[in-house]
Amino acid sequence: MQNESTIAAAEIPVSESAKRTEMIHEDTTAKLFLLSSVTYFFIVGIIALLIAAKFVMPSFLGTIPQLTYGRLRPLHVNGMLFGWLLACDMALMYYVVPRLCGVKLWSEKLGIATGVLWNVIILSAVVSFLMGWNQGWEYAELPLILDVGVVLAWVMFGANVFMTIANRKYQAMYVTLWYAMGTILWTAFVYLTGNFATLFTTGVNQANLNWMYVHNAVGLIFTPVGLAIAYYFIPKASNTPLYSHKLSMIGFWSLAFVYVWTGAHHMLHGPISQWLQTITIVFSVMLLIPVWAAVYNFFATMKGQWHQLRDNVSLKFLMSGVVFYLLTCFQGPMHSLHVVNAIVSKTDWIPGHAHMAVLGAFSFFAIAGTYYALPRLFNTELYSDALANWSFWLLLIGGLGFFVTLWLGGFWQGWQWNNPAIPFIDTVVALQPVWAVRLGSGFLMFGGIVAFGYNVLATVLGAKGSGVEANPAEVAA
Amino acid sequence: MLQKADYNAAFFVAAALGLFFIGGLLTTVVPPLIDSSWSKPFENSDPANGPVGKLRQLNEQELQGRAIYVREGCWYCHTQQVRTILADTKRYGWRGVDAPISTPDEFVYDSPHMFGTKRTGPDLARVGGKYNDQWHRAHFRNPADLVPGSIMPPFPWIANNEAEFKAMVAYLQTLGRAKDWRPDNDYEK
Repeated sequence: MQNESTIAAAEIPVSESAKRTEMIHEDTTAKLFLLSSVTYFFIVGIIALLIAAKFVMPSFLGTIPQLTYGRLRPLHVNGMLFGWLLACDMALMYYVVPRLCGVKLWSEKLGIATGVLWNVIILSAVVSFLMGWNQGWEYAELPLILDVGVVLAWVMFGANVFMTIANRKYQAMYVTLWYAMGTILWTAFVYLTGNFATLFTTGVNQANLNWMYVHNAVGLIFTPVGLAIAYYFIPKASNTPLYSHKLSMIGFWSLAFVYVWTGAHHMLHGPISQWLQTITIVFSVMLLIPVWAAVYNFFATMKGQWHQLRDNVSLKFLMSGVVFYLLTCFQGPMHSLHVVNAIVSKTDWIPGHAHMAVLGAFSFFAIAGTYYALPRLFNTELYSDALANWSFWLLLIGGLGFFVTLWLGGFWQGWQWNNPAIPFIDTVVALQPVWAVRLGSGFLMFGGIVAFGYNVLATVLGAKGSGVEANPAEVAA
Repeated sequence: MLQKADYNAAFFVAAALGLFFIGGLLTTVVPPLIDSSWSKPFENSDPANGPVGKLRQLNEQELQGRAIYVREGCWYCHTQQVRTILADTKRYGWRGVDAPISTPDEFVYDSPHMFGTKRTGPDLARVGGKYNDQWHRAHFRNPADLVPGSIMPPFPWIANNEAEFKAMVAYLQTLGRAKDWRPDNDYEK
């Protein structure tokens, strides 16, 4: 029984490709989400450069209220999280779930309505943030009316995915489907906590709910949907069955139990009960279990297949994403230890860590999924493999430059803060070179985004073969 | 046991939510029930028990000031918490007096809370009473004039709007004042 289910579930991603031709998917919803998310990736990338530039040139765009750092930062954070990453993740779920279930998406009409609503929310958010209409909670800055819109869109998305799964043709649910369902269920409660329960509380109680949401926005939204993508596309892109079904179960169920306990680690050393700090440290360290279970599974799947990375851009993004996931989730538990927290907390180390999670791990997964799914959605071939390689190397090198400089700079900053004889302003001036390198790395990353976005656009417009970059082998085929 | 979840979606949903809610409820709903300092405003009149003082609610002008603080995103770069780290109490002290560590009972009227996560600028938990109106006006006009090397942007639309400026400064002067921690060193004295 156990062996049977292990083999059956593990082989779905590979064997299912044979049936793909029999089943014609409409995919309008997936296309809508995918194209709008890539557009926001590009636009919000410009905002990212503007705010990075402000650290180096504080007076840059400084006298226009709508373009100050305090208004552009929430636009950058929310734009990347919800406009780009979550929308792209949803696009890939609209693509993957029907294929794993062997049926069509339950309702394309509902899906299109969800996509339209999502775009309305994102565009309204842009206006809100520039106007300073900000609720004052990190990740939950959106005005209340837009929060209601997000909940509505999420219910519409969830209904579509769950109904598709309910109508599935294959009885066994592959691990990607668990993560998709887990994401939808947990996100609903995590989002309600961070955006609505906070309204009825104050002070530390409110902060505790806010950080439960902030932490789990990453841990129970972007992590499970990111893993859903990795579990589907790593076997698919490498044409290799997943190493272990059992290990993926350990990873999934330990994640379901452990993640939610850790929100209060954002207030370590802060005005919050000591016993809660101790609990949050214990569970933060336990996060290593789901992470290592998933990462080991991915590495073991790739055993003997690493040569495929040479000319498979999706796999390049996926496996570097896995390495970043491993690193970022090693840092997280370590940050929760008192001795480490006393140095890195509140410093520039933290944006270095957060960007490795959201860009290095989960955006890399989403980009890999896009490169894999896009040609299949539009029944064509990718416009340019060379350009896709450029997008990989620019994002990888720019990303590493960003992460590593901020870690070094942030660690140094933390040491300086812990010596009260050093005036605060000296610790600001000391970081100028770090911020300059961060801006330079930002330009490299943005180059990667442009290469990715142009490749997507050109593929959709069917420009294949019209450019000089066309690969002769593919033209011949 | 959980293998049933591979085939049975209803069982899956129950298991995924059940595991989630154990930690979810124990870390969000339970702590404020156990720890009364989360909801009981700070009040102490006995010097033997640490700093004396009483937390009060913000008045209308101070609330307006806080709304500007939220609108301009000040909280993205300034935290409001003196942590249980020795250097924090020294760095954010004033004229030789160490800043008291922030406690939950100092924040029970705060909504939205402004604890913050990033210190691009200094912590503001104890900034109340340190600088006068004249200093704040010059600082909002152009921070780098007063603090060379500062990367805080100028806020002329606050400095030049009398109502907004007064509200903003009134709010800042309340920060950290519930604890009367350095009675003879305020700018007013």
